[in-house]
Amino acid sequence: MASIKFKNVIKSFDDGKVTVIPDLSFEIKDKEFVVLVGPSGCGKSTTLRMIAGLEDVSGGELYIDDKKVNNIAPKDRDIAMVFQSYALYPHMSVYKNMAFALKLRKMPKKEIDEKVRWAASILNIEPYLDRRPGALSGGQRQRVALGRAMVRNPKVFLLDEPLSNLDAKLRTEMRSQITMLHKRLQTTFVYVTHDQTEAMTMADRIAVMDKGVIRQYDTPQKLYSEPADMFVAGFIGSPRMNFIDCTVIRKGKIFYVEFSGEMMRIPSAKAKNLASYENRRVILGIRPEHITEHTGGEIAEENCVITAKAEIAEMTGGEVNVYFDVGSRRCIARIRTDRKIASGETVRLLFDCNTAHFFDKDTSKAIGTV
Amino acid sequence: MHKSLKKYFPVFILPVVAAFAIAFAVPFLVGIYLSFTHFRTVDSSEWVGLANYIRVFTQDETFLNSLWLTVKFTAVSIISVNVIAFSIALLLTKGLKGTDFFRTVFFMPNLIGGIVLGHIWSLIINGILGIFGVDITYNPSYGFWGLVVLMNWQMIGYMMIIYIAGLQNIPAHIHEAAAIDGASSSRELFGITIPMVMPSITICTFLTLTNSFKLFDQNLALNGKSADTSLLALDIYKTFYDHTGLRLAEWHGMGQAKAVIFFLLAAAIAFVQLRVTSRKEIKH
Repeated sequence: MASIKFKNVIKSFDDGKVTVIPDLSFEIKDKEFVVLVGPSGCGKSTTLRMIAGLEDVSGGELYIDDKKVNNIAPKDRDIAMVFQSYALYPHMSVYKNMAFALKLRKMPKKEIDEKVRWAASILNIEPYLDRRPGALSGGQRQRVALGRAMVRNPKVFLLDEPLSNLDAKLRTEMRSQITMLHKRLQTTFVYVTHDQTEAMTMADRIAVMDKGVIRQYDTPQKLYSEPADMFVAGFIGSPRMNFIDCTVIRKGKIFYVEFSGEMMRIPSAKAKNLASYENRRVILGIRPEHITEHTGGEIAEENCVITAKAEIAEMTGGEVNVYFDVGSRRCIARIRTDRKIASGETVRLLFDCNTAHFFDKDTSKAIGTV
Repeated sequence: MHKSLKKYFPVFILPVVAAFAIAFAVPFLVGIYLSFTHFRTVDSSEWVGLANYIRVFTQDETFLNSLWLTVKFTAVSIISVNVIAFSIALLLTKGLKGTDFFRTVFFMPNLIGGIVLGHIWSLIINGILGIFGVDITYNPSYGFWGLVVLMNWQMIGYMMIIYIAGLQNIPAHIHEAAAIDGASSSRELFGITIPMVMPSITICTFLTLTNSFKLFDQNLALNGKSADTSLLALDIYKTFYDHTGLRLAEWHGMGQAKAVIFFLLAAAIAFVQLRVTSRKEIKH
């Protein structure tokens, strides 16, 4: 059980010529499940590998349980890691794979046997203990990799995109298994993924990374409802948030945003943050699930209805993804409806300003809390 | 398409079958037949049964000596070539500077022909031994170790390339997993790396074994003049060509019998070695 602390950590390659992590500071609490998420090349795996000791820290300080580990070998950090490729030893049986680290620690055979069988029973891999990894399916290999980490009873569990090689169904199954494992083991988990659904469903806290920088580090709910900038807003949520250029206008004491000839009243709670943006262009962000189809009735002041052509309509079961254009921006609405919306059809879409976000056009930072 | 192939396949395989028969199968079978005869030329042979084989083991002084020397030479070469080649391959896969340069340098001796190599090493070794007033033919052990040095020098580069390919084939994550599991360097080498390069070890052991066992031109060029350092292939050659006179047909028959024994030994050893090492390979 351990906390992890990054203090102005720098990571560079090629003798300092390429810096992938310019200055990273954040803390992972004891027993917390933290997910590092971001696009390819954002530095999330490098960050995880620095915790593991597989990458040197070029600058700054890295602590595990208040102990500086910059120069401590991976084997002495009391961590266990699950790799994307599972990294099982192909010439050893499942049993030997799981027992290897314990054997190296000169643990008595009986104790090793108990631990291996304990982990195998939790992960339902008991029937495969004598098989070699080559004779297992992807899901079974993944469970063996988890088992190999579990038997160590480490302070920190590191998982590097462990589900990315599995099919969608198995991924969902393993996702809940890992979450349950975390609850059961009561250990610190650091999990790397580029899949925001994995991040949202599993994490206590998520660090959204981009270009070696943490853009926001918060709970899944906060990331969704209060994204710090356009990057986080666009990354979290599927389909991604729509961004529309608009102008802030004041009529008397009331603020509006105008886009594509439509006016939308800004609720007073948000208006105070936008006061300094009067007559300036800002970015309106609205999630696809917050756009609904207007089928008639009264329109509240904070709402506006636009008429748009459904360029593409994708049926996904109980919902339809409608792609439409606002100005030059392609937007998407996720509409719950029983009726079939056809591509090319004209639809009336209702935007609710209470669920909208506003971003500074220059800095892309969120304007106030929406 | 499939039907036509079925109908005409004999036409397509005929050139290969003919070439194989003319260049390999017929000479091989004729060779086995001739080992039971006394002959001067292929078409003037006299059937003698097992006489040649009995003579090889009972009356020939050089054969058993050559056989023993070949076994010793093969054993020493397999160990030295593979240990050194694997060690160099390990070093050259660590991402050190100048790796590409050294890979080329170590491989270059393999491009030089055996006879040329034999003469070069003969000059080098005799140049050194000359300081002490002896030469490579003076003492059989000089010739033996000279041959070992030459073999190592020639084969290490080739084997190194195969080992490098094998080592590079091990995913980096496996080594990282071992580091996290707490494996020491030696434990990682013997417990992870070596078992995972078993396919390369099988190939390299096979190549070193067969190349050492049938070594001829280097042996001829380096120490062809010394009877005590003739390996099997050179001994067979000498049995054929170092004799003249009335008993030439007997020597030819005996040389042919030695060649058949040589073939059987080489095939048996290679077969056993392949079975043993490939059993240790990882089956995916």
